[in-house]
Amino acid sequence: MGKYVLRRILQMIPVVLGTTLLIYALVFALPGDPVKAMFGEKPVNDAVAAQIRSEYNLDKPFIVQYLLFLKNALTLNFGNTFAGRPVIDVIAGAFPVTIKLALMAFVFEGLFGVIFGIISGLKKGTWYDSVILIVSLLLISVPTFVTGFVGQYLFGVKWQILPVTAGRNPGFLDLLMPACVLGSVSMAYIIRLTRTEVASNKTADYVRTARAKGMSNRAVTMRHILRNSLIPVVTYLGADLGSLMGGAMITERIFNIQGIGNTLWQAILRGEGTLTVSIVTLLVLVFVVCNLIVDLLYAVLDPRIRYE
Amino acid sequence: MRLPAKVLAAVVCAATVIMPLGACGSSSESSQQDMIISYYASEPQNPLIPGDTNETGGGHVIDMLFSGLVGYDKDGNSVNEVAKSITAQDNNTVYDIVLNDDWTFDDGTPVTAESFTKAWSYTANATNAQMEASFFAPIEGYDDLQNGDAPSDAQLSGLDVISDYEFTVTLSAPSASFPIMLGCNAFYPLPESFYDDPAAYGEHPIGNGPYKFASWSHNQDILVTRNDDYRGNFPAHNDGIDFVIYTDVDTAYADVQAGNLDLLDTVPSSSAVTFQYDPTVQSVNNPGSVIQTYTIPSDTPHFGDDEEGHLRRQAISMAINRETLCDKIKGGTATPATDFLSPTVPGYSDSLEGSDVLTYNPDKARELWAEANAIFPWDDANDVVKFSYNSDNSSAKSLFEAVSHFVTNTLGVRAETNPISTFSEFRQEVTDRQLKTAFRTGWQPDYPSADNYLVQLYDSAAADGNGSNDGDYKNADFDALMDKAASATSTAEAISYYQQGEEILLRDLPATPLYYDNAVVVSAIGVQNVDTNWKNVPVLQDVTKDVSRK
Repeated sequence: MGKYVLRRILQMIPVVLGTTLLIYALVFALPGDPVKAMFGEKPVNDAVAAQIRSEYNLDKPFIVQYLLFLKNALTLNFGNTFAGRPVIDVIAGAFPVTIKLALMAFVFEGLFGVIFGIISGLKKGTWYDSVILIVSLLLISVPTFVTGFVGQYLFGVKWQILPVTAGRNPGFLDLLMPACVLGSVSMAYIIRLTRTEVASNKTADYVRTARAKGMSNRAVTMRHILRNSLIPVVTYLGADLGSLMGGAMITERIFNIQGIGNTLWQAILRGEGTLTVSIVTLLVLVFVVCNLIVDLLYAVLDPRIRYE
Repeated sequence: MRLPAKVLAAVVCAATVIMPLGACGSSSESSQQDMIISYYASEPQNPLIPGDTNETGGGHVIDMLFSGLVGYDKDGNSVNEVAKSITAQDNNTVYDIVLNDDWTFDDGTPVTAESFTKAWSYTANATNAQMEASFFAPIEGYDDLQNGDAPSDAQLSGLDVISDYEFTVTLSAPSASFPIMLGCNAFYPLPESFYDDPAAYGEHPIGNGPYKFASWSHNQDILVTRNDDYRGNFPAHNDGIDFVIYTDVDTAYADVQAGNLDLLDTVPSSSAVTFQYDPTVQSVNNPGSVIQTYTIPSDTPHFGDDEEGHLRRQAISMAINRETLCDKIKGGTATPATDFLSPTVPGYSDSLEGSDVLTYNPDKARELWAEANAIFPWDDANDVVKFSYNSDNSSAKSLFEAVSHFVTNTLGVRAETNPISTFSEFRQEVTDRQLKTAFRTGWQPDYPSADNYLVQLYDSAAADGNGSNDGDYKNADFDALMDKAASATSTAEAISYYQQGEEILLRDLPATPLYYDNAVVVSAIGVQNVDTNWKNVPVLQDVTKDVSRK
């Protein structure tokens, strides 16, 4: 077990190196010159532009820029943004609210997704099942920004039940609508995933055996059907936590939440290499760690899986 | 290892616990009765230093925190602020500036001649990499500070401090509009404390304007409060401004509708047609100072600076119905262009000789196009009229598609658009002179004077990458008129030269004016005294609201 975890952690090193190189190359290859863009439609002052380029190493060849970034990153110095703020401060300022939002969305989608999925799976074919299926299909097919803007208009502007935007230092209520919007699509997937698994496990041989042995209905459902049905759901949830952190770009924009997604969006627009790469690297780490946790959770759910 | 099965449940519970904890930060609606006006903003792209601020995110804040030698009233006339008098000498090349002696910075130190001269030299010096350095190019000694190895505190040789409250400025060429320029943010004074630690100052600026800096929560808001020691002409009538940072205009609009945001100075394209009839908001829609044009580079085939080129440029211009563009595409938030300036700038005119080239006249357009074909034939199979624009600007796409439809429908020639995905990519192609098509250009003035529109955009000195003459237009007669205007002894005399220059532009059409963007402000119900200034920005000092409402 310990060995397994260690091996997985060591595997992160090439993954992180690879992604940073890739992202750095992509940002570098972005068309347009970020320093020129700083001047807008006004004439570019070459002397000032040269000074800025040398300050941010933008005048050096790509590979030198990347190695300098790596060297500084090893000493936890991620450089400054074009606005002169340390990248580490920017990330530290934006990350907490994204974590809060992602966890809320995660709990929302996990809780409601599994509950509705189980009910739907156990009562397959009833009118209740059909309603859940239709609603989940609807949520999957409507893009997040539509759910976001419609929710914002109805609950925020028209009925004034929930705040329109998250505002500064957002709390539970401020993030409630964004979290539901963010989690809605995944929730629909989880409903369908859980439903299918529960429905197929319900008729599995071992369930029939358990019932034949005289186990109570409740025990069969909890111990045998649910436990086996949750393995793919946990895989999905684990992978989804990572994308909730990084994929909140649209939701964060709609509700004016100044989190990681919004910061990343702006960094890309301004062609800020170091900020973009630092954020993406962090998201990669989150993703890898989430996957590790999921893999470890398998052992809890399925005793047949062992890690040597 | 086997974890107990309850771990999963525990994880879920732990996550649920976090949420109520997070809730502590919310609903901290303090019981303040201060009249703080909240205003849409974007995160400044540079530290809050006047000479390093060249975009509106930081610019709007800086303008509230600082006062220059002169300021602008809402109609664009300059009035003395810190300056007591500004006197031109030697054919507009030397200016003697005397200051009022009772101005102070927020830290209590007096505003003296050195507060200006040292700040200007610092900004002009390439070593300090300040975005607004180019503003000091007219001052003598500017070139000596451009190689990037001058010491950081090197001084401009054209600045001469005579006493604590008097200094002279020597320019390298005559300029009648220099006193007007002095109201730009690049020319604001800096206190001594700035030089100790510019980075720390940029996070917590100390100014001398109508408001004082209070706080800056990055990516969230910037708060400024009324400065009771302010001595100038534009005192605040509210207790402060909260610049609330948004990344999406649609979101900000929803906040105005719900009454969470007081002022928004731009309208999302989704509401462009409806906002004037929206009962949940109030709106102001005045002619503004931003002019939108398209430029055809002088070396574009068929569109050179010759008889054929002029005829074709005029024909295309007359093929475009600007009224329709303003009404249908801009939803009434734009005004058809009649000159190369804008309605909020002294010198604006709607009756210059030749300005009929900017009105829709399909018959005349076809006639001119046929005349051009007689000089050099247009090959319908291969020749195309193309308009390039940046497609990250939401209205540019519909605008240029409409323009090319007008060209096709009126002249019967192929016209296409050439979208380029981002603004920076687009500008790169423009500055590298790769575009051999018409392309989108626009101008937001730095200061309210005709020369800021004309010299920066069409003078030969601004061509070939030395300025914003992106089409490399060169006309000696035009240049001569601009020089005459710079040496003029009165504003009226200067304006008459500028207008003669514009008449040349109306013939040659290096750029073709389309419309002026209106100054549009949407405000929440209950907000009062909203008006816009020459810069298309609400006059923040005058805005008030009923604080008992919320």
